[in-house]
Amino acid sequence: MIQQYTVGGESVKVNDYEIREDLYYTKEHEWAKIEGEVVRIGITDYAQKQLRDIVYVELPEVGKKVKYMETIGTVESVKAVSEVYSPVSGEVIEVNSELENSPELVNQDPYGQGWIAVIKPDNLNEDIKKLLTAEKYAELIKEELEKEH
Amino acid sequence: MTEFAGWHMPVWFESIIKEHLAVRNRVGIFDVTHMGRFIISGVDSTHLLQYITVNNVEKLKVGRLHYSLICNEEGGIKDDIMLLRLEEERFLLICNASNREKIENWLISKSKDYKVSIENVSDEVPMFAIQGPLAEETLQKIVDVNLRKLKHWRLVKTKILDVEVLISRSGYTGEDGFEITLWKIPLKEAEKAVKIWKEILKAGSEFGIAECGLGARDTLRLEAGLVLYGNDIDEETTPLEARLEWVVKFNKGEFIGKDALLKQLNEGVKRLRVGLKMIDRGIPRPHYDIYVDEEKIGYITSGTFSPLLKIGIGMGYVKANYAEEGREVKVDIRGRKAKAQIVNWPFYDTAVYGRRRKRESK
Repeated sequence: MIQQYTVGGESVKVNDYEIREDLYYTKEHEWAKIEGEVVRIGITDYAQKQLRDIVYVELPEVGKKVKYMETIGTVESVKAVSEVYSPVSGEVIEVNSELENSPELVNQDPYGQGWIAVIKPDNLNEDIKKLLTAEKYAELIKEELEKEH
Repeated sequence: MTEFAGWHMPVWFESIIKEHLAVRNRVGIFDVTHMGRFIISGVDSTHLLQYITVNNVEKLKVGRLHYSLICNEEGGIKDDIMLLRLEEERFLLICNASNREKIENWLISKSKDYKVSIENVSDEVPMFAIQGPLAEETLQKIVDVNLRKLKHWRLVKTKILDVEVLISRSGYTGEDGFEITLWKIPLKEAEKAVKIWKEILKAGSEFGIAECGLGARDTLRLEAGLVLYGNDIDEETTPLEARLEWVVKFNKGEFIGKDALLKQLNEGVKRLRVGLKMIDRGIPRPHYDIYVDEEKIGYITSGTFSPLLKIGIGMGYVKANYAEEGREVKVDIRGRKAKAQIVNWPFYDTAVYGRRRKRESK
């Protein structure tokens, strides 16, 4: 059975999967957090739980220009390798180099210490329209779970 | 959960790494009910099996089991199997889930001139594997037979919770352990099997037993250097190429594939299976190419992150002249040429891990 409930003030959970209210999402399970002029990105709780046991994270180079939904890196678990797509167009201005030695941070804290990169967006107003709100992303997770059952 | 040969099975219960390490350090339990199982009996059963498998069935005593291969006429591997001699003229053949139908058809088509009966019991005998250095201690708590006396490659009939079981000391992890066949519990009475699963879990709880999924089964067998059908061996691959020649008993008389294999033995193989240990970061995955300088010398057939060594490991095939231990090669990991080294299996230190480890740590 698929259940949705509120956790604290800013998160909902669909079954075991946490979704933060203040983030935007892609259909490929990345999240984007608008922090003033820049956007911090990572992979969602659902994504890390599907991969489990993350052992390598390949990060983009600082200065790399990326387009909306272009590959920005890879997250690799024992079982599979998965590409990370950029939720926005722009320039990579910071990467989480902690992940090179501690990739498990993505499993432990996907919305916090497990962030992947910070991007200076160049077309945020347009990109944002294509991203999912927490509410829409919760619907997507429910659909994925229904497919599994 | 994942689909595997028509079965709905967990890839992990909690984490592949945790389950893997539980088996290397303590004990783990696997549900392997998906395997294909056939009872072959009758006066000609030995002759038939001697003809369609490559190992020497005449040397297999009652109460023992061995690893073997079924080859086609060209010497290609149709499947790798375990053969258990239950009685003088009664065998249990265990094949891969994905090959169940193919092997059943092959057995039937090859047995026409033999007085044998072939019974497919795949859906009636649940099967569990208990693996790890504390597997014996775990299982001993719930069976009456003295497991200390049951050597590797031997089997014994006993009971768990009044269900008749067949226990063999064998496995697919490199560790000491047992495979338990629950005799004749049809899938519709699966709750009986679940009760036994829970009984084993209870027995193993003081040892930190882990329920293990397909993911850990794969990483464990890879660290041990054991092949997986469909990845590392198939009908286009011979035992000689796969470095499974130790299974093939050329002097036992006629068997399917013998002529082709003898020819290959005389002419030499063009490619060989090797183990690979990454020097650079990265995980070799199936179909990645292997290079020496600019020359493509082979490809990966299986690979994973080794939970024990904490690096990428794999196996694959390279041109025979490159298949030497210690040689440095490169694996094309999604466009990046990452350094790796050809190594022998098992990948772990056999003094510390695996069934031949020194036991003083107990």
